Amino acid sequence: MIFVGLLGVKADVRANDHFEIVTNPSVSEVALSVNSLRSIFSMSLKTWPNGTKIRVFVLSDDDQLHKAVSKGKLNVFPYQLRSTWDRLVFSGTGQAPVRVNSIEEMLDKVANTPGAIGYLWRANINENVNVLQIK
Amino acid sequence: MKMLTCSRLNSYFGNLSKWVAKGVILLFAIGSISAQAQESPAQKQSELIKPLNKRLKSTDLLAQVTETEVSSVTEKPGLVSTAMQWLRSTDRPGDLQFHGFVSQAYITTSDNNVFGNSDNGGSFGLTEAGLNASVRPLPRLQLSAQVLSRRAGEGNSGEPRLDYAILDYQLYAHEANQFGIRVGRLKNPFGFYNETRDVAFTRPSILLPQSIYFDRTRNLGLSSDSVQLYGDTSVFDWGTFSAQFGVTLPVVDDKDTESSLLGSVRKGHLNREVSYIGRGIFETNDKRLRLGISGIWLNTSYDPNSRLNDPLGPGALQFTPVIFSAQYNAERWTLTSEYAIRPFDYNNGFRTPPAPRGLNGIDIVGESYYFQGEYRFTPKWEGIVRYDALFTDRSDRDGSEFAKLTGGISHTRFAKDITVGLRWNVTPAFMLRAEYHYVNGTAWLSRLDNPSPLATEQHWHLYGILGSYRF
Repeated sequence: MIFVGLLGVKADVRANDHFEIVTNPSVSEVALSVNSLRSIFSMSLKTWPNGTKIRVFVLSDDDQLHKAVSKGKLNVFPYQLRSTWDRLVFSGTGQAPVRVNSIEEMLDKVANTPGAIGYLWRANINENVNVLQIK
Repeated sequence: MKMLTCSRLNSYFGNLSKWVAKGVILLFAIGSISAQAQESPAQKQSELIKPLNKRLKSTDLLAQVTETEVSSVTEKPGLVSTAMQWLRSTDRPGDLQFHGFVSQAYITTSDNNVFGNSDNGGSFGLTEAGLNASVRPLPRLQLSAQVLSRRAGEGNSGEPRLDYAILDYQLYAHEANQFGIRVGRLKNPFGFYNETRDVAFTRPSILLPQSIYFDRTRNLGLSSDSVQLYGDTSVFDWGTFSAQFGVTLPVVDDKDTESSLLGSVRKGHLNREVSYIGRGIFETNDKRLRLGISGIWLNTSYDPNSRLNDPLGPGALQFTPVIFSAQYNAERWTLTSEYAIRPFDYNNGFRTPPAPRGLNGIDIVGESYYFQGEYRFTPKWEGIVRYDALFTDRSDRDGSEFAKLTGGISHTRFAKDITVGLRWNVTPAFMLRAEYHYVNGTAWLSRLDNPSPLATEQHWHLYGILGSYRF
């Protein structure tokens, strides 16, 4: 019981800002505005400035990191992103981001997919991905 | 001259939709080629560095495929899960994606029929299923298509139909500003829910507010063959304004639409005439506030069947609804309201003796609105309450004038619906829902399911449960 409580506290502390938006090394951008970032995760901005595809990777809606990024970085609730994606997918006007099942898979996909963007806890970031500054 | 242009446009659109449908079949083929074609020079360079990597991956994929094929032969129960795994897998060329859903509802009513014979012990008459595919062969080009099956009362048999087939090209994109064009069979953008009304996960209740999202004219409202321009632009630091405008040919060839627009199923047929549709939605950056306005300028005309001694003459009608939409999203609750004003205008061609007036020159304005509150108790449990009102003729809200003039029944001219419902997200992919409606009036009942207005009751109750799976 105490153990579960401690885990909860730890997750909350981690959620405070210990994550970064990361991209595949092929992406030349080093900084993005919050609005552009929100457009990317809303799946409406589909290409990088050099014309190549943006490929968005996300964790599941109830994942701690996904919630932290949605609320802390994009300033929207996960359910709002979900309904935005559903509208695109089921009206045929857009695509959904690709869902990964773990932090490890996120790191792997972002590191190996050209044009990829995702997010990671700082502790999991390595030299295979670029960290994007959000202005 | 005008007729000529219209018929030309007609055939142009007709051919276009056929062409798009054929194109969809090529989606998969394009998808596999596009993996090579799409890379820009910058990416090519990085690809050059790891060509071995890539080849290795594709052989891996091949090995997987053979492996699953073998296992599906030897082990039958694994077939479905293998297929699901394949549909969910992400390593497909051209960013090919598949999504779909299946929903089944059970509906029972105290009186009147909704989706089958619901007032006689209930009915499993509402089944909805859809499967879609989308692919991005080029960074700015998306092709997508969805097949939909809907079994709902007399009006929908469940026969699969092409719901949308779209070629979407983004002409301009910079930060939150985008501009593009879509061609094909498109979902009609109106109100908040129309485009995804058949997907249980995206609507707030089993039955959408019927005052605005009539299920009986759904085919007319749902999708049409169109050319559409769309754009998003940021409005200072407040949010984004998104607009869509389309020139369309509406789908008017089903019985439900005909009986709704012409009073009953007629001997002749309705023609597709060039129509227009547009919607603008402003959304704040935090997506909390959404404000929308949608408009349709729908034209259709009637050709009588002279061989069957048709009492109706050739006529034209215009339907020009405007819908105002507003929504506020907080973490726990969402408030939504929409208001529609719906003018119908029939010209003087429809001669319908012996009725004193028939459809000739009818010029009525309908009105609809609803207020809706949703509350998320936990991520798994959500509740909804709604008041929904529909008036077929806003200058005759209780239908008394109508009854006096035509001898018809007054409660067929309005419907006021109080809804209470509960949603349980069992897993992210599976959802159960239950709801109760108390309805005063019968204005939105399907005439195909309720052929005799005399047999309908003014005050009635509806209970529904629904299960839905998505991927």
